[in-house]
Amino acid sequence: MPTIMSSTPFTQAPIPQPPRVITSKDLSYLKDALSWELDAFKKLHFFAQQATDPEVKQCLDKAGRMHQQHYQKLLTHLQHNNAAVMATIPQTQSQQQQPQMQ
Amino acid sequence: MPNQNQIANPQTGQLPQVKGPQMNDRDFMNDCLSTCKYLADSLNVAVWEASHQQLHQDFLQILNETHQSAREAYELMFRKGWYKLEAAEQQKLQQANQQFSGYSTQFPYH
Repeated sequence: MPTIMSSTPFTQAPIPQPPRVITSKDLSYLKDALSWELDAFKKLHFFAQQATDPEVKQCLDKAGRMHQQHYQKLLTHLQHNNAAVMATIPQTQSQQQQPQMQ
Repeated sequence: MPNQNQIANPQTGQLPQVKGPQMNDRDFMNDCLSTCKYLADSLNVAVWEASHQQLHQDFLQILNETHQSAREAYELMFRKGWYKLEAAEQQKLQQANQQFSGYSTQFPYH
């Protein structure tokens, strides 16, 4: 690869859109949402057991199931391979100079 | 004299005659609603802050479904007579309409 003058910035195609990476901020929001979803469906499951009116029971049960599904959907984002995506992202010069973090 | 602006069903929900400290069906439904509201607020911030498209989409879908579920709970509570609504006075409606229609001189698009 030819050397490029150090005075000009390294030119490359821009990253077209935010890559499929869970950022540290995303992780905070995911953990927050997961905690609340878990609390919600445990509570609604308990309420559905305690309720007397069948319509109320059914409504609470349905809501509880929904929150569990939401939990499962959010959980898939924690099973994402960040490292694999990051390996495909071109590093800017300033980043290359930084020590690699593991 | 009954309030003419009030909209409510007769209470048909099974509530204990004498209400004690125990949670009843209406309390369960109220808690269900407030839990959904809290979650929707957090999810709304997550939708704004999500970094990539798929995460944004998933948060938005979950937010939308949470709204739908809360709406169903609210409608059930209304049917059971646990929610009272109050219609605004016709005169006040007309006053507000006049006020905001008057602002049309400020509209930049014609």
